[in-house]
Amino acid sequence: MTLPAALFSHYRRHPLQLLALAAMIVLATMLWTGVHHLTSQARASLDQSESAVAERQQVARTDGSPVTVDDFVELRRAGLCVMPWLEVSEPEGGRVVGVDPLAAGCFQTPGGQESPWGGELNGRPFVDISEAAELAREQGSELSLLVSDDHSKGDLPPGYQLVPFSVGPATGELGDSFLLNLDALGILVLLITALLVRSVYLLGLAQRRDSFALLHRFGVPHGRVNRLLVVEILLLAAVCVLPGIWLGRWLAAGLGSGFGQALEGLFDQPLYAGQGGSWLVPLVTMMAVILVACLADFLRPIFRGLMGGNRRYGCLVLLVLIAGLALTVWVTDLLWLFIAVAMVFVAAGILAPRLIASLADWRSGHDRDLQARWRHRELAVLARRLALPLVALQFAMAMVLAVQALVTTFESTFDRWLAQRLEADYYVEVPESADAALALDWLAEQPGLSASGLWHRVIRGRATLPGGEDEEETRVDVFAIGPVGPLVTGWELFESAPQPWQRLQQGQGVMVNEQLARRQDIAVGQTVTVLFGSQSFELPVLAIYPDYGRPAGEILIHPSVLPAEFETGFQSLSVSPGNLSIEAVTDGLKGVWQVEALTVRDNRAIEELASAIFDQTFLLTRAMTTLTLILAAIALLMMGWVFFSTRAWYFRLLVVWGLSRRQATAQLVRLSVSLSGAIALLALPLGVWLTWVLVHRINPIAFGWSLPMAVYPRFWLELGVLSMLIGLSIAFLMSRQLKSPTVAPVNANALAGGER
Amino acid sequence: MVDSLLSARGLNKQFRSGDEPVPVLTDFSLQLGAGESLALTGRSGSGKSTLLNILCGLEKPDSGTVQVLGETFDARSTEAASKADARWGGLRRQQIGVVFQEANLMPALSLLDNVRFRARLAGQSEDDCRDWLERLGIGELADRFPDQVSGGQRQRASLAMVFAMKPALILADEPTGSLDRHTAEAVIGQLFELQARHDCGLILATHDPELATRCSQHLDLGHLPQT
Ligand SMILES: Nc1ncnc2c1ncn2[C@@H]1O[C@H](COP(=O)(O)OP(=O)(O)OP(=O)(O)O)[C@@H](O)[C@H]1O
Ligand SMILES: [Mg+2]
Repeated sequence: MTLPAALFSHYRRHPLQLLALAAMIVLATMLWTGVHHLTSQARASLDQSESAVAERQQVARTDGSPVTVDDFVELRRAGLCVMPWLEVSEPEGGRVVGVDPLAAGCFQTPGGQESPWGGELNGRPFVDISEAAELAREQGSELSLLVSDDHSKGDLPPGYQLVPFSVGPATGELGDSFLLNLDALGILVLLITALLVRSVYLLGLAQRRDSFALLHRFGVPHGRVNRLLVVEILLLAAVCVLPGIWLGRWLAAGLGSGFGQALEGLFDQPLYAGQGGSWLVPLVTMMAVILVACLADFLRPIFRGLMGGNRRYGCLVLLVLIAGLALTVWVTDLLWLFIAVAMVFVAAGILAPRLIASLADWRSGHDRDLQARWRHRELAVLARRLALPLVALQFAMAMVLAVQALVTTFESTFDRWLAQRLEADYYVEVPESADAALALDWLAEQPGLSASGLWHRVIRGRATLPGGEDEEETRVDVFAIGPVGPLVTGWELFESAPQPWQRLQQGQGVMVNEQLARRQDIAVGQTVTVLFGSQSFELPVLAIYPDYGRPAGEILIHPSVLPAEFETGFQSLSVSPGNLSIEAVTDGLKGVWQVEALTVRDNRAIEELASAIFDQTFLLTRAMTTLTLILAAIALLMMGWVFFSTRAWYFRLLVVWGLSRRQATAQLVRLSVSLSGAIALLALPLGVWLTWVLVHRINPIAFGWSLPMAVYPRFWLELGVLSMLIGLSIAFLMSRQLKSPTVAPVNANALAGGER
Repeated sequence: MVDSLLSARGLNKQFRSGDEPVPVLTDFSLQLGAGESLALTGRSGSGKSTLLNILCGLEKPDSGTVQVLGETFDARSTEAASKADARWGGLRRQQIGVVFQEANLMPALSLLDNVRFRARLAGQSEDDCRDWLERLGIGELADRFPDQVSGGQRQRASLAMVFAMKPALILADEPTGSLDRHTAEAVIGQLFELQARHDCGLILATHDPELATRCSQHLDLGHLPQT
């Protein structure tokens, strides 16, 4: 019999152990591949959707009538880069968009923007314009003329104006935030994966310790055995990683298609990037993780040599923990923040099982009751032996806690914020030729509207905040609203001076969004200098308001403050018509402005779509973290079960000594529930801390806005119940081994009195 | 018989290996009085451990009756298994001391704590536990853990444990099987001495024919059960 055959013979006798090892590698690979795949898919999808919905500009006629092919010809002749965009609605719902790739050529100037559609002309929804024109004969259609961003107002021939063109609400910044969180999740999952793989590898070693001792006695050098073991684990990994990756992709596809559908519903085009993606990245990463996880033993002596004794090592780890915690408070750089978080996690992972073991040892020293003393000693042994899967579970629990808290906060905050921003039922765009003041008078005259006050005018544009001596000036968005009515006065404000809305209405100050307040260190009561063109105004800050989802700074003022030379970017009216129908309002406005058509946006529909996309992303995040938790729990179960087989004899001794099997099982239950409970307890502060880091550190640093930090004790309870269930399952699995009369332990370790 | 401590009648036990039945005990009987000792010998695999397990209720015979310390257990009785288990549990807890060849101690407890744990389970005082360790010559090792002492010292601690529970019957399955001859001699000497002094019954499974002669009865289970 050759040496490899002798080594492998262990698994011939214990195929279940081999199966467990293989299953762990497959599951761990599946988990990480799933998360990785989803992250890259989500990134690709969001990139696509962003380029698809990025706000572009189109040309419209100042007289309000729709553009035609004649307009296209005229604009081209004037030397403008325009492209026709013909939307044809299909009878069974949905739409196709005809575009002209030839005309779009000028959009792709070097350094300019890319072609206005992301994909190919495959009917989903883009087709060649001739095809769309064919369809348009039978169906309703709408022609727009997109114009390159390089053109400004002055380039247009008379009778035309530039208006924004977008096919849906922009989600760019929110998407980034979501992706950042997915990335953080991916790193954490990779860490958990490594822990799982390592714990399984160590388990295999422990189970075969006798065989190794025997081989050593037969004169086989340790080094050779170790080399063979590495080869063995690599072979096993090579066999298991591929099915793992396949499963991971399958999982990601299942979860991701829902995400894709939501995106599709939102933007009317298949944006989910599908099943592209490489196999190489997960393959190489997993092999590397497995190699590192299994070879960590060879690194450890070097590490230990550097660290000195066990005690000094513990102190050092504690120092790392404290340093990491301090760093997360102080650093203002995202990379350092991630490093600090990693420090805290590594240190917490090393310390947690030790803490449980030491506490249990300490308790046992003070127990008068010998059964309790014995139980606490066993707990200490368990905590040490199952350290790795325990830490994996702790991390997974902390992650679930943080993600749940984050997602729940996100959900409620965005819901509220979206509702605030889309408080009015409709936006009516003010055509460039039209005079908004006329419309205001008309609106004020409508009895229904003047009673409810549910309308206002919105002017958007840009302004500048001049910098100090060595600061640069800052460009900010201007958001002018008037009259200030119930549509906005219900907004939540972070901070405010007395009667902020009233003073805003009287033009006595500005409100700034959180991003700007953070970046410029602006507080309520302070005076800011705002430049509209060349004219400068000193205005007191009345309030700071939340503005999630984008990093841009913004000021909110009353239109009366704006000087005549202010360049209006965009004007609209926000109206909740109440018992008046929106048609009545638009008809009235058409009459006032003497135009034939108006662009009206239905805010309720937008709100619905935006909520749908958020719901889906949140669901996805939740699913991934829950999956991680389940896997970590399974790992602990499996390891607990195998470890217990080596220790079942001692629990059986309790039965020999006259305890009934039920009593022995009760001891087991108390033991395993204490263990899983302890780890859940230790996961709690880590999870709350991680929530805090995500909400109060990472988000503000990355995006300039922070979410309210909320804790959800109900999750804690749920997690507590879950940890109880894990403990009970371990006890249940173990207690089955109490039934059969176990033979005395035969391994060298147990003969020497067993581990303590 | 009035002063019979233990009597077993008509015990049958067979295991299965695959589809083949492996008879281990066939119509087996034995008797043991208080203060008596009985040696069980026989080839490896002849059923010594199986018999000891049956005599303390850790294993069930297919048929037959065991009467021990005033309790009767019939394999064919209609008594619920859990009830019989509970009665056996009570006996093992307080009156029947069991010693195996090895691993009789909880690895996570010190020698002294092991003895005290056992004494408490038996409802005995913990006060003389240290005495027992001293009497067996390992008093100074009381606070060490099982993995910190030698095999012989561990077996002595196991004996201290059994005596601390003040048993009426001791079942010892090759208690010195893993010890060298000299140490084994000393441990067995102490076992016999204490058994005689406390007047309890002793059944000893052993491979040592010389040891067997020191017991008041000797039963040879013979060769491997025929398959
Ligand atoms: N759980 C079991 N399942 C199947 N066969 C068993 C089982 N336990 C014991 N046997 C068989 O029963 C027979 C008696 O085993 P036992 O352990 O009682 O022998 P023993 O006399 O104690 O041997 P040794 O001197 O080696 O300890 C053996 O042939 C053994 O293979
Ligand atoms: Mg035996």
